[in-house]
Amino acid sequence: MSSTSQHLLLSPAELAYLHGSLSLITPGPIRPDGRSPTQFRPLTAETGILPGTNGSARICFADGTEAVVGVKAEVEKTPVPPYEFVASTEGRKGHSSAPKKSSRKSKKTTTEDEEISMDVDEDDEEAAGVNEKARVSPDWVELSVEIPGLRDDDSGTVFLTSMLTEALLADGEFVKKLWINRRFHWKLYLDIILISPPLSYPLPLLSLTTHLALLATRLPRLKSEADEDPMFDDDWAAATFLYPRQDTTSAKASNKSPKQPSAAAAAAPASRPPITLLVMAVGDNIIFDPSKEELAVADSAVAVSVAEGPSSETEPESESIPATSTKRNLHLLSVRTIDPPSRLTPPGVPNSVNAAAWGTMTAATPTTTTAATAPANESGAAKHPDARVTETEDVVGVWKAPRGGAKFGMLGAMVAKVLERGGVAEEVLDGLEGVDLT
Amino acid sequence: MPITILQPSLAPPAKLRDADSDSDSEGGADLEGDIAMGRPAKRARTQDSSIMTPGEIITDDPQWMRGHGTYVIPGASSNTILSSVAGTLAKTNKLLSVRPLRARYTPEIGDLVVGRIVEVQAKRWRVDVGGTLLAQLPLSAINLPGGIQRRRTETDELQIRTFFSEGELLVAEVQQLYNDGAAVLHTRSLKYGKLRNGVFMSVTGTGGGGGVVRARRQAFTLDISGTDEVSGSEKIDVLLGVNGYIWISKHIEGEGAAAETSGPGITRIEESVGLNVYSSQNDIIPVDTMREIARVRGVVTALVENGLRVDEEMVTKGYAEAVEMAKEERDSADTLWLGGERGKRLANALVGR
Amino acid sequence: MPLDTSTYNLALLRVDGRRWNELRQQKGQLGVQPSADGSAYLEMGNTKIQCIITGPNERDTKSTSSASTAPTSHGLGATVAVSIMIAPFATVDRKRRGRNDKRLQEMQTTIASGLAATVQGQSYGPRSTIHISLNVLSQDGSLLACLINAASLALVDAGVPMTDYLVACTAGSTSSYAAADEEADPLLDLNTQEEQELPFLTLATLGATDKVVAMVCESRVQLTRLEGMMATAADGCKGVRDFLDGVVRDKGELMVQEGAIGRGEVVSSMDLD
Repeated sequence: MSSTSQHLLLSPAELAYLHGSLSLITPGPIRPDGRSPTQFRPLTAETGILPGTNGSARICFADGTEAVVGVKAEVEKTPVPPYEFVASTEGRKGHSSAPKKSSRKSKKTTTEDEEISMDVDEDDEEAAGVNEKARVSPDWVELSVEIPGLRDDDSGTVFLTSMLTEALLADGEFVKKLWINRRFHWKLYLDIILISPPLSYPLPLLSLTTHLALLATRLPRLKSEADEDPMFDDDWAAATFLYPRQDTTSAKASNKSPKQPSAAAAAAPASRPPITLLVMAVGDNIIFDPSKEELAVADSAVAVSVAEGPSSETEPESESIPATSTKRNLHLLSVRTIDPPSRLTPPGVPNSVNAAAWGTMTAATPTTTTAATAPANESGAAKHPDARVTETEDVVGVWKAPRGGAKFGMLGAMVAKVLERGGVAEEVLDGLEGVDLT
Repeated sequence: MPITILQPSLAPPAKLRDADSDSDSEGGADLEGDIAMGRPAKRARTQDSSIMTPGEIITDDPQWMRGHGTYVIPGASSNTILSSVAGTLAKTNKLLSVRPLRARYTPEIGDLVVGRIVEVQAKRWRVDVGGTLLAQLPLSAINLPGGIQRRRTETDELQIRTFFSEGELLVAEVQQLYNDGAAVLHTRSLKYGKLRNGVFMSVTGTGGGGGVVRARRQAFTLDISGTDEVSGSEKIDVLLGVNGYIWISKHIEGEGAAAETSGPGITRIEESVGLNVYSSQNDIIPVDTMREIARVRGVVTALVENGLRVDEEMVTKGYAEAVEMAKEERDSADTLWLGGERGKRLANALVGR
Repeated sequence: MPLDTSTYNLALLRVDGRRWNELRQQKGQLGVQPSADGSAYLEMGNTKIQCIITGPNERDTKSTSSASTAPTSHGLGATVAVSIMIAPFATVDRKRRGRNDKRLQEMQTTIASGLAATVQGQSYGPRSTIHISLNVLSQDGSLLACLINAASLALVDAGVPMTDYLVACTAGSTSSYAAADEEADPLLDLNTQEEQELPFLTLATLGATDKVVAMVCESRVQLTRLEGMMATAADGCKGVRDFLDGVVRDKGELMVQEGAIGRGEVVSSMDLD
């Protein structure tokens, strides 16, 4: 939980109106911009805007928020641990013990195998794989976020950075893609820059842009073999995508194929970079991609990170809800509560205690005659001690900041709404996949 | 479909000017890029263009006087008037001024503005009206509740926050301007005061291809009973602040800025002040009204996104058009959304493109 | 890698195929950010810059300390605050720059004081500030010049009154200081490779005039060559001004065409020269 809110001034009357319209049950929430609850702001996306990077993307929301992400890769020497320490390293890296391999990996494990069997006796394939992965380190990815007007060490920036990093590293699959050979790996620098002033909470924008940039990221084709010093093909056209692309039909086919490890490994894994979506709840309504005003009246807000993997066998460290979808194999990486700015908003003053509104005269709006009151106004309350009622009671049409966290059931519902078949995450991934990679 | 992803629109590349301008003195400044604009033909750049740009000489005829957006070179004996902004030329008698393509709001006396309190001081409020400086609203420029015309007392100063506090929205009129362009506001009329029962939105002040323009009426009431889903005779007040801040709210009889005509006479003002003028409690708003408020907001957004001006005529026409569009697409669920393609359709229908 | 100057003497073509007095390809766009008060995107060769303007508005207390400021109109006008952010991926080798990087600060100060001399800020009063935020997305030489040009363009978009465009350009010399070559030709608009090898200066002028607003030269160069370099740079500035002016006019005419703004009137007895 972190306070990530930009200070936003809204009047109590506005807040009350927004909260009222967003928590409507019968026709569903009415959002100020008329979007449906799951609808995102339309966005403009392009990739390959910076020829000097391995991958880049830019996304602009219609309201003018814009982010640019550049990915740069450098070859780095992997510190090779002496073999006696392998066991301990293996033990430490608990989350990387999943016995899953990508196709690239499995190709290499054969060569790896031979060598290891030369060095270490009786190391079966499984253990070799583990050793290899034991040397995979989350340090291979460096992610930085730049928000205009905020310092690098601002808590908001730090929180965003760690949230995006967490999503990327959560299932341990990503860093494996950076493995070159036993002595070398790619070091990947992801630099995320918010160009516009932060009009709304930028997390979804930054996450989608990062996703797109990673999809567009290409690494030079390796020409050298095994553990030699790596040599690369100069031809950029021959460079391989970090996330290999394939036409959707074969992707579906490979996903639908029965869960045989060998078969899944043979077909190129259709894994995709993670996306983090911002979901908020007002009353019983779940709303996606909230604007700044909407977030200001949220009862609770969570950031849900979702990744698409080749198979749900890869369990992330903590919670994992295997997706029901057969089309996309989504799994949950993390759920983080965001402290919505609504908590810091000042409460409205009911007419009945409003000295300036002479609300205690019956001439005030008819609603106040029956309504309970809050002693938000000292002078009013002092004049009319009988008007002092407990703070917890609500007055219709008067804003009161929400208290308490997200309800457990609501959290579950929000996550389910993201992951469900044909749900939001799926459509967002589909949409992003439709963006031309240049 | 929750997400719409657009290709970067074709317009920007067209606007991008491809110019390998070599600064060869004999090569001249023959810049390409006009081709994509679809304009008839290349023409000499400086002379007959209707756009003035900074540093451009407007005239050196001494009969003209310089107005906003222009300057004369200080100390120079000539009467050369130059433009200091990019925009179009406007003549008022002998006064030359250049209206910028886009700029922040510049207050003028008599402007109806929507503002947000950002700071409360001892005897005045500081109000954000989207200008270059914060406006101020002195305690003496508001109507005190109680219906008595009286002097402001210390008690009033002490409870200044009960009238307006930080974040609250109000509608006011520009009463006076300081030399640096800062505005002083007043709310001494029944049609001004605190805003409630609605939503706020902000569009670019002047120019920018759209935005609120100074018009005969900045505040008006829309009848929403035209939509057959609405029962009863609900109305919506639209308040187009000249500063580009807009307030759309439920109409309440005899209240609000749109009550200009229907409001009580001047003698009754002091009596009725204080009932709801400083209230921050919303009335009960029917769902239909909320939906139509969102629709009006969508119309304004569509107007702005498509570079059309925002005034009473456009909003009224746009709203009627949006209602028609919603009726046609009765089967689809989200008829309220007027962004992207739908917004474009609406705008095109309005200007007959 | 050392720039092979001998090839230049053979064909009089530079490493990227330009002649001595050619600018690189430029692309410019106004109003790229609907939410900002003013914005512009400018490309000069592979140097790509996006500029966002906030304000003029009243100085807020929490203004970022890393921005450099300069008052306009001798302290009677609005303050210009400039902050530069160079994306870590902008250069060939990834490099993260802190906000307090000395070179950045120096560039910020140069730009702020240059713009402060050009902006007519007296109409805003001393309490207001114009925040100029420059994002460098890709960097390939003439960085300072591009930053100034981008800021100029964005200020026009924001409708801030200025005496003229503030335009800048770099000029170098075809041989190094050590070579002491009397025959050295000036070069216009240098890219990174040339900047690393050759002496160069950045010159900012007021529009197409020869009024120098700022000049920065950080390399050793013979005095005899300086004049030629400055003249070349000033020529380049004219080219840049024409280009920027064209971008603004195109945008304005498009807006007039679309009816977003009213058509301008014409001074009937106008006597333009």
